[in-house]
Amino acid sequence: MKGLGRNVLLFTASALFLVYVLAPVAWLVSSSVQQEAEITSRPPHWIPRQPTLENFEAIFQAKEKKVTYETRRAGDPATGGYIPSTARDLVPSMWNSLIVAVSVVVLNLLVAVPAAYAMAKIRYIGRSTSIYFMLTTRVIPDIALVVPFFLFIRTFGLLDHLGSLVITYLAITIPFSVFILVGYFESLPDELDKAARVDGCSRLQTLLRVYVPLAMPSLVAVVLFTFLTSWNEFLLALMFTQTPASQTMPIVVASFASDFTISFSFINAAGVLAVVPPVLMAVVFERYIVSGLTAGAVKG
Amino acid sequence: MARIRLESVGKRYPNGFVALEELSLEIADREFVVLLGPSGCGKSTTLNLIAGLEDVTAGSLYFDSTLMNVVPAHKRDVAMVFQSYALYPHKSVYENIAFGLRMRGHPRAEIESRVKDAARSLEIEPLLERRPHQLSGGQRQRVALGRALVRQPAAFLMDEPLSNLDAALRIAMRAEIKKLHHTMRTTFVYVTHDQAEALTLADRIVVMREGVIQQIGSPEEIYDRPRNTFVASFLGNPPINYLEGTLAADGARFVRGGLSLALPPELSKKIGAENGRQVRLGIRAEDVDPRGTGETLQGRISSVLPVGSDQFLGVEVEGTTLFFRVGRELRAAEGENVALSVNMNRAQIFDSSSGASLLWK
Ligand SMILES: Nc1ncnc2c1ncn2[C@@H]1O[C@H](COP(=O)(O)OP(=O)(O)OP(=O)(O)O)[C@@H](O)[C@H]1O
Ligand SMILES: [Mg+2]
Repeated sequence: MKGLGRNVLLFTASALFLVYVLAPVAWLVSSSVQQEAEITSRPPHWIPRQPTLENFEAIFQAKEKKVTYETRRAGDPATGGYIPSTARDLVPSMWNSLIVAVSVVVLNLLVAVPAAYAMAKIRYIGRSTSIYFMLTTRVIPDIALVVPFFLFIRTFGLLDHLGSLVITYLAITIPFSVFILVGYFESLPDELDKAARVDGCSRLQTLLRVYVPLAMPSLVAVVLFTFLTSWNEFLLALMFTQTPASQTMPIVVASFASDFTISFSFINAAGVLAVVPPVLMAVVFERYIVSGLTAGAVKG
Repeated sequence: MARIRLESVGKRYPNGFVALEELSLEIADREFVVLLGPSGCGKSTTLNLIAGLEDVTAGSLYFDSTLMNVVPAHKRDVAMVFQSYALYPHKSVYENIAFGLRMRGHPRAEIESRVKDAARSLEIEPLLERRPHQLSGGQRQRVALGRALVRQPAAFLMDEPLSNLDAALRIAMRAEIKKLHHTMRTTFVYVTHDQAEALTLADRIVVMREGVIQQIGSPEEIYDRPRNTFVASFLGNPPINYLEGTLAADGARFVRGGLSLALPPELSKKIGAENGRQVRLGIRAEDVDPRGTGETLQGRISSVLPVGSDQFLGVEVEGTTLFFRVGRELRAAEGENVALSVNMNRAQIFDSSSGASLLWK
């Protein structure tokens, strides 16, 4: 009986936790297929009465429309609501976000993987210092880095250019990526590294043929982490981008909320679109996050 | 194919620890050399230096007459079996064994036939598709051996390859390795801290202690003529017995309290006549005979430990307990007195303070 009580308690606790975590997402998704009137109805409809994809259509049509104070009320026939004046920047900003995030993921891996291998497996002077030094850069809050970053970016003429975001996001994500990977590489036995070299691998080949395949779970974690960080970043993007040419999704979506009038249906549909790429990534990579891949390397 | 020569080789690790100092050793082509010593004496370090996995920090390392100090590991033609097998966990057994050949660009068909041959000789053919984690310890050990032996390298380096196997398998594998050495006809450098392994396998044994070579010699020489008490103690089961005492009668007798043993003439000739010199007499556990005549030790039996074919006797002699191995036919009981004749021709004499043998000049 004691076991049953315990199970009931655990079940209730986890159910509460799930509701807490998922309710906002559920509302986001649900309201993205509701009309403006239904969203603002009280009590809220968790299940839409008349589900509609018109909000999404509005987003993709907004590309051609120019919205001004005068024309905003013309609104969107589909939603019956307002569409924000920056609505047509949304789709281009998604591309910007995607380009930035993918570039950061790729460049981050190119730098972090060899760096982590060197720090984990090659003994050189200043090895542990370099790890700590790198990590301390991440103790500084981003807000304190904005000004130096800004000056740097301006000096290089990268303001309002996607390059500014790629560079600064790399500065933010590489230390953590290296840290995660160093921890993982260090957990792999040194003798694996030695075996590979005796088998005829150079350092680089050892990394690519032995360590990278073994580090797949950590690499996936790093990829997800860098992608999400770049995809969601707001503060730096707000500082360095000024026009739709380089604005990323969070900036454009945020601008919807500071418009003449707020269109919840439109914002929610945009929010759902913003969630899609990270979710897709997680689904694709989930199968690589397998544990126990290293079992059997050593005696035991 | 390779003679390995270490000239005053030293190894200082980045943390400042000196693992090896001034190590000089020449390993002949096709020789089977065993590095023997207690844990932490620098055996693995020596092997890693030869393989190029650690940098030599002093002295020179040659393969034949080529200086190897700065040649990276993947350019040295050596194969190594590691203390912890270090199989690639993400590769099948086949791929583990084939990897070294692939990296060296051998044609596919040749790789396949060589892997199959190696697998057959190690009796792991049915396991080729498995991953390392699906193997038993002994099977992993064979795969590790297979990975080295497909390569047909200039030198084989083995770091305690048998240390994690059970006793029966270890003895069987010992024989396998010996056979391998005969068929491969290459240089073997084999690390162990197991004296029995060293004595069975080696052409020559190198006994090491704290990064310094204590003695190099054939197994017989190391066992019969140890250069110091460290080497003498390291080999033998149960270990050699020591009796502290003094020399008397111009080096012809060993005296301790009421005990006086005559030393054979060859022995006393080597020692030199120095009456009153403090020495340590070494008697191997098996060098006594309960029925023999000649020099005898009298003592009281303090323990009897039967070990299958033989029995170990603890005997109290002149205030210390000595351990001997005698046949089971001796009916011995604790508390009884016993007289054992000592084969003094095999006795060792060491300097009391330095521990150096007086029989080596
Ligand atoms: N990377 C390292 N940095 C500092 N000291 C080290 C390092 N590797 C080994 N040592 C030290 O060098 C000494 C020799 O180590 P080594 O691994 O060669 O011993 P070993 O004879 O193989 O011992 P075992 O039988 O336990 O394997 C030890 O005292 C060890 O602590
Ligand atoms: Mg070792």
